Amino acid sequence: MRSVMFRFHVCAGEIFELKAELNSDKKEKKKEAVKKVIASMTVGKDVSALFPDVVNCMQTDNLELKKLVYLYLMNYAKSQPDMAIMAVNTFVKDCEDPNPLIRALAVRTMGCIRVDKITEYLCEPLRKCLKDEDPYVRKTAAVCVAKLHDINAQLVEDQGFLDTLKDLISDSNPMVVANAVAALSEIAESHPNSNLLDLNPQSINKLLTALNECTEWGQIFILDCLANYTPRDDRESQSICERVTPRLSHANSAVVLSAVKVLMKFMEMLPKDLDYYGTLLKKLAPPLVTLLSAEPELQYVALRNINLIVQKRPEILKHEMKVFFVKYNDPIYVKLEKLDIMIRLASQANIAQVLAELKEYATEVDVDFVRKAVRAIGRCAIKVEQSAERCVSTLLDLIQTKVNYVVQEAIVVIKDIFRKYPNKYESVIATLCENLDSLDEPEARAAMIWIVGEYAERIDNADELLESFLEGFHDESTQVQLQLLTAIVKLFLKKPTETQELVQQVLSLATQDSDNPDLRDRGYIYWRLLSTDPVAAKEVVLAEKPLISEETDLIEPTLLEELICHIGTLASVYHKPPSAFVEGSRGVMHKRLPAQGTECPDVGNAAGGSAPEAAPSIIPSQGDLLGDLLNLDLPAVLLPLFNTNCSSYGILYPQVWLPAMKAKGLEISGTFARRAGVIQMELVLTNKAMSVMTDFAIQFNRNSFGLAPAGPLQVLTPLGPNQTIEVSLPLSTVGPVMKMDPLNNLQVAVKNNIDVFYFSCQYPISMLFVEDGKMERQVFLATWKDIPNDNESQFQIQDCHLNSASNKLQGSNIFTIAKRTVEGQDMLYMSIKLSNGIWVLAELKVQAGNPNYTISLKCRAPEVSQCVFQCYEAVLKN
Amino acid sequence: MISQVFILSSKGDHLIYKDFRGEAGKDAVNKFYEMVTALTGGQPPVVMKHKELHFVHIRQGGLYWVATTKADASPFTIIEFLNRLTALVKDYCGCLSEKSVQMNFALIYELLDEVVDFGYIQTTSTDILKNFIQTEAVSSKPFSLFDLSNVGLFGADTQQNKVAPSAAATRPIVSSQGEQGGKNEIFVDVIERMSVVIGANGVLMKADIEGEIRVKCYMPSCSEMRIGLNEEFSIGKSQLSGYGAAVRVDECSFHQAVRLDEFDTYRILKVCPSQGEQTVMQYQLCDDLPTAPPFRLFPSIERDSGGRLLMYLKLRCDLPPKSLSQELSSPDQSAELQPKNKAVHWEIPRFPGGAQLSALFKLEVSGLSAASLQEVGPVSLSFELPKYTSTGLQIRFLRLSPIQPGPSQRWVRYVTHSDSYTIRI
Repeated sequence: MRSVMFRFHVCAGEIFELKAELNSDKKEKKKEAVKKVIASMTVGKDVSALFPDVVNCMQTDNLELKKLVYLYLMNYAKSQPDMAIMAVNTFVKDCEDPNPLIRALAVRTMGCIRVDKITEYLCEPLRKCLKDEDPYVRKTAAVCVAKLHDINAQLVEDQGFLDTLKDLISDSNPMVVANAVAALSEIAESHPNSNLLDLNPQSINKLLTALNECTEWGQIFILDCLANYTPRDDRESQSICERVTPRLSHANSAVVLSAVKVLMKFMEMLPKDLDYYGTLLKKLAPPLVTLLSAEPELQYVALRNINLIVQKRPEILKHEMKVFFVKYNDPIYVKLEKLDIMIRLASQANIAQVLAELKEYATEVDVDFVRKAVRAIGRCAIKVEQSAERCVSTLLDLIQTKVNYVVQEAIVVIKDIFRKYPNKYESVIATLCENLDSLDEPEARAAMIWIVGEYAERIDNADELLESFLEGFHDESTQVQLQLLTAIVKLFLKKPTETQELVQQVLSLATQDSDNPDLRDRGYIYWRLLSTDPVAAKEVVLAEKPLISEETDLIEPTLLEELICHIGTLASVYHKPPSAFVEGSRGVMHKRLPAQGTECPDVGNAAGGSAPEAAPSIIPSQGDLLGDLLNLDLPAVLLPLFNTNCSSYGILYPQVWLPAMKAKGLEISGTFARRAGVIQMELVLTNKAMSVMTDFAIQFNRNSFGLAPAGPLQVLTPLGPNQTIEVSLPLSTVGPVMKMDPLNNLQVAVKNNIDVFYFSCQYPISMLFVEDGKMERQVFLATWKDIPNDNESQFQIQDCHLNSASNKLQGSNIFTIAKRTVEGQDMLYMSIKLSNGIWVLAELKVQAGNPNYTISLKCRAPEVSQCVFQCYEAVLKN
Repeated sequence: MISQVFILSSKGDHLIYKDFRGEAGKDAVNKFYEMVTALTGGQPPVVMKHKELHFVHIRQGGLYWVATTKADASPFTIIEFLNRLTALVKDYCGCLSEKSVQMNFALIYELLDEVVDFGYIQTTSTDILKNFIQTEAVSSKPFSLFDLSNVGLFGADTQQNKVAPSAAATRPIVSSQGEQGGKNEIFVDVIERMSVVIGANGVLMKADIEGEIRVKCYMPSCSEMRIGLNEEFSIGKSQLSGYGAAVRVDECSFHQAVRLDEFDTYRILKVCPSQGEQTVMQYQLCDDLPTAPPFRLFPSIERDSGGRLLMYLKLRCDLPPKSLSQELSSPDQSAELQPKNKAVHWEIPRFPGGAQLSALFKLEVSGLSAASLQEVGPVSLSFELPKYTSTGLQIRFLRLSPIQPGPSQRWVRYVTHSDSYTIRI
């Protein structure tokens, strides 16, 4: 390459000449010289020696020259950090310039000089520019915060730039809003748990307003940001959808796709019977179709995305089959993608049309495409039952062409059709057998041998056919050898008299003359079966096979859900989650679709201490045998048992914290308990995936009471598929503390060899009530008086029928200190101490004959009162 | 987020290299060239990956325009952006070529600086950028009739009068009052692409049209332009078009800058054209064409006694005949066998409406059987129909306000291209 060759040839003379020109008095000459320097820089020559001379040209009022110098600076500052400092003064001065173009230019360039030393000088000018009167300067400054964060994240936090950036989201200029959103989104990605963007209905509203006004690129930032928001209910989600839909007709396909992403995600929350849901489905089709009229590059990307959308919601494009028909001049990679989508959309309604197309494709020139078209016909047969017959006859037509690769592909798919519809199309076997000689690909040979073996009783000369393959046994590929072995054994079991010799031959070939362990083992197994118990052999070898279905080539649902959240991005093109190809923490957050009909998130968990609605989750919904058995009588018998046993600890029933769907097959459910003064987290881990899980570990996020694992998660043996393990994890209360909302919320990360999964759960606060929580009477009285009345809260507990509340409460470390009776009312005074030393004092009023109790709680930290009340309720009612 | 942008010549020379985020090295450029030249036909070239870096590229003007990213960015955004970037460079430098990029590198760097900041795309509007760009374009060949980059649009009509000279639309928009610079011109092109599939039985199986109205403006002081479309223009399937020659499309999308307040009633698009090129409207029509497809083929395929394949093709053009009739069998026709593609290539330079051409091809095919006749076909046509729109869309008028001082020229051009026109046998 030319540039590489020249790199080492910047001779001293040239440098010297440029130096002289750079120091010239004439502006024009200077400018030309800087241009030459940059030209050399572009092709890869080293012109860093000119650094001081170029920097000298910086102090000029000529904007064009200034820009050129800055261009040079951005390139070389990193390699010459000491000299870069020389430029700082000019930057700082430029940030005060009356011309907004120069102010913006300075702040933009400073951010691009990735030298640590320069950052401290950057802070003051940046702070000013963030509040500049000119929107062009503000939008540039907003981006600069992201740049600075990339160099020195701590500095940005310390200087409070993040708050200023948040303020810019409410800026009057949409361009500034868009850049602030982009910068915040990027910064937020490196702090997965921070609430930087703080999306709430108000801020969403602001974003939606800005959406209408800003440039197309800004719209993309805002839409991508919206996609991360989870609406509170279906109504909010509908109103966002309504305001996003107009973007679907935008001319910029990137805007369209980002809008599609938002809609696909929020649609998940809309009830399907809603009129609006249907309207939205209809609106999504035309923009997707429009994408297919773009250049082939964009078409390809669009098709990869449509492939996902069609798998998630086939109804959107079910009437648009025609647009996916292949054009003669499409590049091959577009053709193959279209074919895939055609099959996914194939249904009874359009199958005739699809088959006619596929048949055309099967006679085209491109071999790869033809093969895939033939396979597609087979997949249609399996997917749309009514079409199977027509597909088979189409395939037979194709076999008649005798084109070698068409015949072979056809035989491979016909084998699959036999597996889906056994005993239906065997009449075609004769035609297939005619083509035996032309098969030279292992897959086709193996398929043909399988067919002969499977239907040996209907093929008169099956033994001859198989024998002919046997001659070159050792030259065949393993696939064919295995298939041949099985086919001959099948034949023997069906026609034992005339094929004894053949089976002997193949068994000895497989067991004695082969080096392949798979083949040998299979041979021995057959041999032993046949020699010990031919009846059993028949049952094993000729057992009924499960039918195959079309679902085999679909993307796994959890992955699909994640990919839908990444529509329009690289992940959707690779069909891999971003964590598989993006380095570091950036973008590795696993996104999930929201669940349909979720109400406000805290409503479901508000009951905290007691969990009547959690009861159904005791019974595994998977429909496995055990679950079914339990289902019969468990609710009636087992539940009360549970209650009496566990109430003293204030335990929850095991709840599913992390469904298998969301964690690549790992299901976690669990409860909390306090045993002998130790808090235990009882976890049940179930492996619902197909592979073994190992290397478990657990971590908690900071939480209100400093809960932390007191030891590692003890899962010593690998967890096999369908295996369940119960683990008890002792917890300490000395971990880092951060106030959570709700107070008893706990965010947990569980890692295994597959991935890291996050979930949150709530623990009953009664777990934290310590055993030495009994207060002295005098102290109680003094404390009660001492705590201001503002901190007192009153609750009602309804429908309580207890004889001795205090005994029951004592089991949960709620201690009764005194009792007095006033006018038929029992007044119970109680104290509780939390693990972090907070005391809670309580007064319980019980009126004889009245099932409603009144409780007053006093505490120096009134936030806990609500949680404590919930515990009372849970304990007293059980 | 875009990490780097670079432009390479077809030979791999570095023309422009700009790093926005400092997260990838410059060796990425050579790595990209290695990868792109090693691609085989079947591989999608759109997104390529090397370690942690993802390359997205397009080819325009014989150059590679490449953007890299390290995040899970949107390839749509990047491809759209690269397309806009080429349009911008074309607007500013006049045309896209290795030479014009090389000569204007300072201008392109300046553009890139304004267009992308830290990998975030800021704006690609020529109008907004005009306020910031200082460098002036250097035109390589200011005005040359040999510049053929736009010839395709006018097809054979280039030599005829009534058409703007081809190079007129390939000059920088903001050239300083140069020799031909002050000319006030505006070009409005209606371009349609047609994809048609005609079945073996002659039935029209599929006919789609994708069209766009493109405006290229060289007016420095044009505040508003009104483009009037056919009054009976309708959108969507539901509307009954009634009688007569209604022009109908299924779907329409407009450029952000188009105001549609007079569109519903009068079918007028109001645009404030920024200097440079932009697509103001895109539309599609599926299946329901107002007229018959322009070309029909009557093939007959058989095997002669000598075992040769005989293809007798009769091709008819169903467009309305022009008053000026042309000689039927053009002597410039040619045909060629392309063994690599297993295809016969028949080239017809001119084909007047209402005319019919026929050809007989005799092919020696080894091992020709009756079944292999099934394998013949399809026939694929590519053509260009100047001054014709298959939807019937017309520009009724083009008004500029304020009234332009001095002579101004307005050009309206129509053309229909074949996107994929397939006739099955």
